[in-house]
Amino acid sequence: MPYLSEIQHRRVIEPNGNEVGKLADIAIVPQGQFPAAQWAILSTPSGEKVVRWGDLAQEIGHFRLRNRLETTPDAQLPPDALRLARDLLDKQIVDTHGAKVVRVNDLQLSDVDGQLRLVGADVGLRGLLRRVGAESVAERLVGLAGRRLPRGIIPWHLVEPLESANDAPAKTAAVRLTIPHAKLALLHPADIADIVEEMTADERIAVFQQLDIETAAEALQEVEPEMQAAIVSDLPEERAADILEEMDPDEAADLLQDLPEERRDELVELMEKEEAKDVSELLSHSEDSAGGIMTTDLYAIPAELTAAQAIDDLRVRKPDPELTYYLYVVDDEGKLEGVLSLRDLVVAAPETKVKAIMDPHVLRVEADTPKEEVAALIAKYDLLALPVVDARKKLIGTVTIDDVVELMLPRSWKKRSLRSIAR
Amino acid sequence: MIRTASAVRRHARIRRSTLLGFLAVMGPGIITGFAGNDAGGVTTYTAVGAHYGFAMLWLLLLSTAGLVVIQEMCARMGAVTGKGLSDLIRERFGVRWTIVAMVALLIANGSNVVAEFAGVAASLELLGVQRIVSVPAAALVIWALVVFFSYRVVERALFVLVLAFVAYPVSAFIVKPDWEKVALGVVLPTLPTEQVALVAALALVGTTITPYMMFYIQASIVDKGIGRDLYRFARVDVFLGAILTGLNGFFIVIVAGAVLFPNHVVVDSAADAAQALGPLAGDQAKLLFGMGLFGASLLAATVMPLSTSYAICEAFGWEAGISKNFSEAPVFMGLFTLLLVVGGLVVLSPNIPLIPLILVSQNVNGLLLPIVLVFILKLAADRSLMGDQANSRVSQWIGVGTAVGASALSIALVAVTLLGAG
Repeated sequence: MPYLSEIQHRRVIEPNGNEVGKLADIAIVPQGQFPAAQWAILSTPSGEKVVRWGDLAQEIGHFRLRNRLETTPDAQLPPDALRLARDLLDKQIVDTHGAKVVRVNDLQLSDVDGQLRLVGADVGLRGLLRRVGAESVAERLVGLAGRRLPRGIIPWHLVEPLESANDAPAKTAAVRLTIPHAKLALLHPADIADIVEEMTADERIAVFQQLDIETAAEALQEVEPEMQAAIVSDLPEERAADILEEMDPDEAADLLQDLPEERRDELVELMEKEEAKDVSELLSHSEDSAGGIMTTDLYAIPAELTAAQAIDDLRVRKPDPELTYYLYVVDDEGKLEGVLSLRDLVVAAPETKVKAIMDPHVLRVEADTPKEEVAALIAKYDLLALPVVDARKKLIGTVTIDDVVELMLPRSWKKRSLRSIAR
Repeated sequence: MIRTASAVRRHARIRRSTLLGFLAVMGPGIITGFAGNDAGGVTTYTAVGAHYGFAMLWLLLLSTAGLVVIQEMCARMGAVTGKGLSDLIRERFGVRWTIVAMVALLIANGSNVVAEFAGVAASLELLGVQRIVSVPAAALVIWALVVFFSYRVVERALFVLVLAFVAYPVSAFIVKPDWEKVALGVVLPTLPTEQVALVAALALVGTTITPYMMFYIQASIVDKGIGRDLYRFARVDVFLGAILTGLNGFFIVIVAGAVLFPNHVVVDSAADAAQALGPLAGDQAKLLFGMGLFGASLLAATVMPLSTSYAICEAFGWEAGISKNFSEAPVFMGLFTLLLVVGGLVVLSPNIPLIPLILVSQNVNGLLLPIVLVFILKLAADRSLMGDQANSRVSQWIGVGTAVGASALSIALVAVTLLGAG
């Protein structure tokens, strides 16, 4: 996937290998999600010449004209055409309110169905380094420190070039790019999180004010932990509390853990009673223990039910899929008695008591078990979830494999798969 | 610079009447003119007057003419494009040239910050405060004020102190200089080719036409939301501000030339410089001079690191703003802090003489001035950017002349230094 800075200034040769000039610029018409390169602007000794992009073939290290330069027809740029290097590169990307966000350091191009298309704006440090030819050197240096250079690419379909209100004489000065909030909401929450991380603080808050609560909660869960806390601190309290309620209790508790105590108490106060209770309980556990990473959403079957009653109960309560990996059985005091699978339940004779079909030997951890140990147990016994009990053996939550995967994978790994939207 | 909602509202309100219009856009130019009156300026003008009498007034006149024309260009660019100078440099010249321009600006302004801290140290030493106390305290106070309050408040408070420098024009008439000789100095270009004289000359140019002022005036115009329609009012303000800078320098050189030059006073310390105000203030001269220098230095030491950080972050698209914290705007806050720390540390180096340090810093400004001027001249003359507001032939020639003159002085100084002459 080339970047504009990598192919700009490449040599352009005729079919016989004669060098006739360099590729000065690429022109597009900004329509559609990922506009295609339609014209090439060549700088030749006799001045600029515009040709159709199709008249060029990309080869390694250079471009080859399909015909001799004299016989290649001159093309005419329509008035709404944009030249990538002149009109887009180095410009600002602003949000819809006109506050500054970032600068276009490079433009990402990609071959889609045999057509070179503009797919993203590189606004990160990498793009800046690439422009001065220092990307690989910097990458090696950062690699020595065991880290990776962050990427910062905004997918092009989120960006709209627009004429600025300023009455500048030339169009070159009038192109501003913008990320419309409305387009953001259509994205997957994980992608929203990626983009939000690149924004300014004010802009982030604006986005979280506008998204619907559910999307906001999901997106917030995907944002880097340090930034989560900053966002929640800056949002109006009511809004922050609403979003926290909608989040998974364990994620909400992790986030609240990073806030100053005063702010944390205020927010928990504002949350609905039920969610607040879950979260406060989680908050009382250390972040590094089973209690800190577990979720308090529970689905447990009373031991006295029959198989048929238990299945009816499932139909009524419709628990989330990750809560039905294992069905935990509790006595009337909520103490963990055993475990059974959905299969066990379904194949059992309807009148059989749950107590009779369950496996009483259930692996469990206490709330203060270190999270590394929890992860090791899950890995060793190939479990999908592990129940957590308190000192009186009462079932208080479960740690699912998702919680542990998140914990064990380096952050960059999880990110990588999310960067694929532009491809 | 980020345009604020209030700026837009103000813009709408301003159109009403001519007088109101002028008053409303007044400010950026005059404030910039005042900012030129910092530790570097006062010290350089005093030293030049004390060592060479009125002989370099012609150079000050030329510099002022150059300043007027260049400040007007930057203000015009701000009004026409609505963008800051570093913004335009990045958009027109790409990443590599932006790095060149920003490194030049960083070094020039960094050396200015050093000069301002030297000014703080020198002025408070007059009042008996050791620099090991005054410099860290000043750096800390500035940092805290900017981070926790607003520098606008600081700005206003310090302006009051800077008014102490009105003492110079008043003194100029009390000491009754030989106006004939003054006139001769203005019209007769003479310049000794020895190294010290070239150092003084380049410092004079560098302190009068500072790269910092160009970025600052353009940012102020953009920030105030002054567009093409209001520019004719702003222009008067910019002219006034630039002339004020030159006039200030003029009076300081005259007073120093009339009081210090005949007595062969070598300006090595703030106490020497303060003597120039002796005829006016007598025993209180030190206090008067110290107050003015302190106010001017502290004011510039506040504004300089801020505007530098803004300009650099604007060019590279990094988060900027004093309302942000370190994790939100790491480069902005880092640069701002670094400039204060480094500026303070240089002044605290053992046995460093303050007045020569200030003069050297103004030389650095003079040396880097041509680099910044080339960018400005290319941008302001660009018709595709400025349309019918592009530079006229006259202003382009004066601008080019200023750049050539400053380059010639720089080259001469470097050559003389390398050849070991003087």
